[in-house]
Amino acid sequence: MGRIALVLRLVLADVRRHRAQAAMLLLAVTAATATMALGLSLGGATQRLYEQTRAATAGPDVVALAPDPGPAVAPALASLAHAPEVVAHNGPYRIVYATLTAHGSASLVVVHGAAETPGTVDRPLVTSGHWVRAGGAVLERGFATALGARVGDRVTISGRSFPVVGIAVTAATSIFPWAPQIGPGGGPSDGGGLVWLTRSDAQALASRDLPVTVALDLKLRDPDATQAFIDAHRHIFTTKVNFSSWQFKADQDAVMLRTTQPVLVVGSWLLSFLSITGVAALAAGRATEQTRRAGLLKAVGATPGLIAAVLLTEYLALALLADALGLVLARLAEPAIASPTASRIGGVGGPTGTVIVATAALAVVVAALSALRPTLRAVRTATVTALTVTAHRPRHRPRLTALSALLPTPLLLGLRLTARRPGRAVLHACSTAVTLIAITALLIYDAQPRWGPAQHREGWGPGLSGVPDLQADHDGRLLLAVSIALIALATVNTVTLTWTTAMEARANMAVARTLGATPGQISAGLSVAQLLPALPGAVAGVPLGILLCGETTTFPFSWIAAAALVILLATTALTALPARLAARRSVAQTLSAEAT
Amino acid sequence: MNVANAAVRVHGLVKNHGRGQGRVRAVDEVDLEVPEGQTLAVMGPSGCGKSTLLHLLGGLERPSAGEVWLAGRRVDTLSERALARLRRRSVGFVFQAFHLMEELSAAENVELPALLAGRSRREAKRRANLLLDRVGLADRGRHLPSQLSGGQRQRVAIARALANEPLVVLADEPTGNLDSAATRDVLRIFEELRSAGQTLVIVTHDERVAATADRLISMRDGMFVDDTRLAGSATGWLGGLIGLEG
Amino acid sequence: MQDAVLAMLAKEPSHGYHLRARLQRSLGPLGESMNPGQIYVTLARLEKAGLVVCERADGLPDRPERKVYALTATGQQRVATWLTEVSWPKPDLAEFHLKLVAAAAAGLADPVELVAAQRRELLRRMRETQRAVLAEPDGSAAVLLLEGVVLRLQADLRWLAACERAWSKVDDEAEDA
Repeated sequence: MGRIALVLRLVLADVRRHRAQAAMLLLAVTAATATMALGLSLGGATQRLYEQTRAATAGPDVVALAPDPGPAVAPALASLAHAPEVVAHNGPYRIVYATLTAHGSASLVVVHGAAETPGTVDRPLVTSGHWVRAGGAVLERGFATALGARVGDRVTISGRSFPVVGIAVTAATSIFPWAPQIGPGGGPSDGGGLVWLTRSDAQALASRDLPVTVALDLKLRDPDATQAFIDAHRHIFTTKVNFSSWQFKADQDAVMLRTTQPVLVVGSWLLSFLSITGVAALAAGRATEQTRRAGLLKAVGATPGLIAAVLLTEYLALALLADALGLVLARLAEPAIASPTASRIGGVGGPTGTVIVATAALAVVVAALSALRPTLRAVRTATVTALTVTAHRPRHRPRLTALSALLPTPLLLGLRLTARRPGRAVLHACSTAVTLIAITALLIYDAQPRWGPAQHREGWGPGLSGVPDLQADHDGRLLLAVSIALIALATVNTVTLTWTTAMEARANMAVARTLGATPGQISAGLSVAQLLPALPGAVAGVPLGILLCGETTTFPFSWIAAAALVILLATTALTALPARLAARRSVAQTLSAEAT
Repeated sequence: MNVANAAVRVHGLVKNHGRGQGRVRAVDEVDLEVPEGQTLAVMGPSGCGKSTLLHLLGGLERPSAGEVWLAGRRVDTLSERALARLRRRSVGFVFQAFHLMEELSAAENVELPALLAGRSRREAKRRANLLLDRVGLADRGRHLPSQLSGGQRQRVAIARALANEPLVVLADEPTGNLDSAATRDVLRIFEELRSAGQTLVIVTHDERVAATADRLISMRDGMFVDDTRLAGSATGWLGGLIGLEG
Repeated sequence: MQDAVLAMLAKEPSHGYHLRARLQRSLGPLGESMNPGQIYVTLARLEKAGLVVCERADGLPDRPERKVYALTATGQQRVATWLTEVSWPKPDLAEFHLKLVAAAAAGLADPVELVAAQRRELLRRMRETQRAVLAEPDGSAAVLLLEGVVLRLQADLRWLAACERAWSKVDDEAEDA
């Protein structure tokens, strides 16, 4: 017990002394775990939202859609309604393919002719206003949100104006913009919104030569046996009947997040990588002090195990705390990210066991990788060496030194500074590469042409515009958020790496100043030392980013080249301040401090 | 003694460290002229301000008041950049802790000042070999500082200080970390520099080192308390120390 | 010094000029003032005291008439006794100390000034000795002796520094009073 208390006391003391490092570890790991938790929970989240909506709206187990008009439709649907597996049904009702304009934007819509008093199956949940009545339209909530329409607004449906009397959600269709499920004549759908009108209003609309599908909602005795039911009835009719099971709709909901999930998961890997880079750079900057501390502990009788425990506990505790924070953040952000359309109701549950384990593993890996080197060094170094250790001695690189001798002073100093710490140069190169991967992906994503429900290729109705492409926008926003997090972390890393380099090289730089190097040359040298590894990092980041994006149709080359250039310029700018500060330190003071 | 042939001249030099109550006057209104070719030792207990004086002479610190002239040029008013350029040409530093760059070989360390002064690599290399030979380390050019003894390291540092043929060499406790044999080697090199007419200012707390100079200034509490010319008056007492009859 | 000459004969009998050369090699600059006759005067005294005997050796053609000196049994004994002696020269600081006290008491001179003058003198001696050290070739036996002289001078200089501090304080207190 005493030993645990001792370890905790030492850890607390160290964290208190190095708040910036602790804060950085906490922040970086929080960002990484939150992103990962979000990415991993999305699949389950859409499923849960669909199920809650289904329960609240008495969602049908199967919807049968008969797209071809004709006398065979009514008997076919009637035989389905009376099939032995069916316990209840709603309809048949008309689905009219129409266009809706409101607020200057236009969209394809399907109009459901609904009973003014819903039966036992498919009872859309009115979230504002009230249910359909003659001359009034109810908009599906996801669609209304995308359109920006509210109760009391007026919308024009294929030429006729309706007031919006209510807004509702249903589990009978997929989320916006996939409410049509099938297109006119059973063809593919281009997507669109969902509007409910009274049966007579829908019939009036249908009489204006708009395509119509007749639909029937079915409740089965065994809700899980939808596939068996569909298989049994698929081919027995003389008219075409399409089936849509509730499971299919739940899966379709997740399509909205098809690219969201990789963005988040890959983003979380990149964020983790940057956390390791940044924390490792900070830890390296403290390595000398850390080793000396370990030496002190050994001198008073601490075992290598205890020292390792202190070091690892510190990193692990912070990382796990960050993991908890990340999970909380993910939980808070999940509703917005898992349900971008407002077509579903209900809340997402807490993180599942898998998510907790996965993010904890991520946190532990980040902590272990960051703490590994200092711990090994501290434990391995002999006590006396540790107490007298000054700093890790860089290797002699005769060729590089000879090469740098041919260069102007800032490059000479920069090249030699880079060569002092090749490991750190690699870290910085990777950090730059990760940043460019994110930016390249963002730019490529942004440059791809899109066809939303409003920009249909060859559908029914006139050219439509103005309704946002929800899926693309959602992914774009997430990609942007992840990219911003990555860039922020990379920025902190660059500053940290520069500062660490400057602090470690301060004695050498002070000596160079006694030999006549100007402060300007010193700070330029420090900047060059960061720029040199950033260059190959940027060069590597672009193709990796392209690779990550998969298939692309448009490649914004000039934008990506500009981004690489901006990154390099930003690196220079970011290093300038710490480099200037370091170059301004008093030479006399630095040298006297080093001598003691 | 006029300003023109004084290598170093300071007038009314003051340096304060810290502020308010904790303010310490490290150098307190000091006047000094070091003629070209003179070897000057500054002695005093630790904390007397002798290292600060050396830093002020070399432009590593700026005085709180007073003037510093190097080779007839006032330097305390120069910008950091101009000061750095002046150091390249006119000042060579030697430190107690050597301050060699650990990742560079002896020869590369000696080349560095010449490279910083913008000389070609070949010229820098040639000069480094010459200087290493001069300090008796011609065969150690490729060694890293960690492979050299303390005395050898300090000799490399002296060679580095001489790389740009400075007007004045400023040495801060150059033998503080050395044993007596290595101290002798360093003093021998200083003696050679002295005969070659090199102006040299050595700060030390060791009488044995101080006594080798032409002139000795004793410092206490930031002030000069004694200024003795040691050169030129041989006492001849050494030979008389031993008599067979004694 | 007689003891040292005796001890140098302990290994084997030797000529006078040979003895002198050995002495000078060991003493370095400190032995420079020894004139050639001195060694013979010393040897004559030792012979008179029965500690050495002088044997006339066969002179070589180019150097006739050479005397070789050898230890007697008494001489041997004297060398053995000398080697086991632990006597050491006394540091004679009392005189200078009393000089300062007396000067201060009588107001004849400023002790601090006296110390400074003395210090300058010792520093010059130190300089001379250090130059002698630096002039010695590598591996010279005399360097060790010179280092001893230097260290003694250093000790004396440090004592003078202590004197200077102490007497300055007395001055300050006198001024304050």
